[in-house]
Amino acid sequence: MLSIIFIIISAIFIPGVIAKIKSKIGGRRMPSVFQPLFDIIRLFKKGAIYSPTTSIIFKIAPIIYFSSVLMAAFFVPMAGQQGLLSFDVDFVFFAYLLALGKFMMIISAMDTGSGFEGMGANREALYSMLVEPAFFVLVGTLALFTQNSSFQDLYVNLHTSTQLSIIIGIAALYVITYISMVENSRMPIDDPKTHLELTMVHEVMILDNSGFDLAIIHIASWLKFAIYGTIISNFVVQSSWPIYIQIVSYLLIQMGYASTIGILESFSARNKMGKNPQWIIMLSAIAVVTFLTTLIITQKIILN
Amino acid sequence: MTYLFIILYAITLVYFALSERVKKFIWLLAIQGIILFGIVFYSLNEIEIFDFIFILLETIIVKSLLIPSFLNKVRKHNQLKREDEPSIPVFYSIIVVVISILISFLLSNYLNDIHLHTQYFTISFASVIFGIYFIIIHKNIYSHLVGYLIIENGIFLLSLAVGNVMPLMVNLAVLLDVFMGVLVLGIFINRIGDTFNSVKLDQISKLKD
Repeated sequence: MLSIIFIIISAIFIPGVIAKIKSKIGGRRMPSVFQPLFDIIRLFKKGAIYSPTTSIIFKIAPIIYFSSVLMAAFFVPMAGQQGLLSFDVDFVFFAYLLALGKFMMIISAMDTGSGFEGMGANREALYSMLVEPAFFVLVGTLALFTQNSSFQDLYVNLHTSTQLSIIIGIAALYVITYISMVENSRMPIDDPKTHLELTMVHEVMILDNSGFDLAIIHIASWLKFAIYGTIISNFVVQSSWPIYIQIVSYLLIQMGYASTIGILESFSARNKMGKNPQWIIMLSAIAVVTFLTTLIITQKIILN
Repeated sequence: MTYLFIILYAITLVYFALSERVKKFIWLLAIQGIILFGIVFYSLNEIEIFDFIFILLETIIVKSLLIPSFLNKVRKHNQLKREDEPSIPVFYSIIVVVISILISFLLSNYLNDIHLHTQYFTISFASVIFGIYFIIIHKNIYSHLVGYLIIENGIFLLSLAVGNVMPLMVNLAVLLDVFMGVLVLGIFINRIGDTFNSVKLDQISKLKD
């Protein structure tokens, strides 16, 4: 129960921290950390407008997207604290819950009949498809390494004590951080601040959404950030620590994660659109190398 | 600890497949030199001072300092384009390099021989295969030289895999070979660059008596 509460708390702060860091580095006056929250409240006050070409799919997609992301958040444990729901091989269910939400957004973008949105949907589908092997190989690696198959047990039994397991930890952190960038449509895959529809990926898909629908889409994106931040923090925070240290280090890691995104987005340029697939498949390649390392550790591959 | 460097070496191969910038090739070669030093340093049971100096000379001085700085010089002299696009999309190259690493790991597991140190064999085999592939996909003599150096790094690891002790004479010969190879090819590239204003291989086919 504690995990979902903290995921929601960090989801509120992460976008504000990112905006703050970006404006600080850009030399602008910093907005309040709660500014994104005020924007959402403003959106909630407005009514949604639907284009006459859209169907029921466009209307229900944001709700399904939001609920699938919220449902996925239930499965994520926080340090030693159990997630709200947990069963064997729940990470597959987790991945496909996120995929369901994404699928709904893709078909809703295509439902609008706009060429731009179809193009964005196409890109989003491609990148999600390419990033999936990286996620599954990585979680499979961790499952093999810890001999457990649920999110909760996987992290509880993950001890990076030997030198080889440190490599697994570092590689897993690297891959998960960039998977989160791809899943959240941030740099270097997508620039959320771009103003040209031709170069957008995620933003172009939600051009037709307004008011309430747009607000819950934004909230779902924040939740996604918090979910991935929690997954990253689980690599560091150990379940054997006292609860208050766990919570403090969890919050610090979440803030560090948000600051890293802010710094990355301030200093790095976006990849060329054509180079995104190869960049994403590289994550899978590193995940495979990590998998091989696990095979050596668990002596499935015996070398002398 | 040796495994750490072996895994890092495998990751550099993935980055070789990913990168298209000539400068990055040089950086990666320098990093590979340092990783090779790490592999040799941790694999030797007892180190004599002479062996240590020789290894230091071969890996750090030659492989990660001299050769990359010479390559950089050649790059600047010929005003090479910043990017060297391979003839096969990078996407497939990454898949090829992953498959080659997978095959070499599985092959090493299968070989499991007492006379062969399979831990070095894994990555040396992958390195040689990837070096050849790297030469095939690039149409630039400069990149061929880089591919040759990747193969050479693989052969260096192979010499560790088959020998119980560091075969000094073999290494000395390989070192001389690499040094001469790089020097001669570098001068060759410079001459071609001066004559044709390009180091693309298509230009060489126009050569006549």
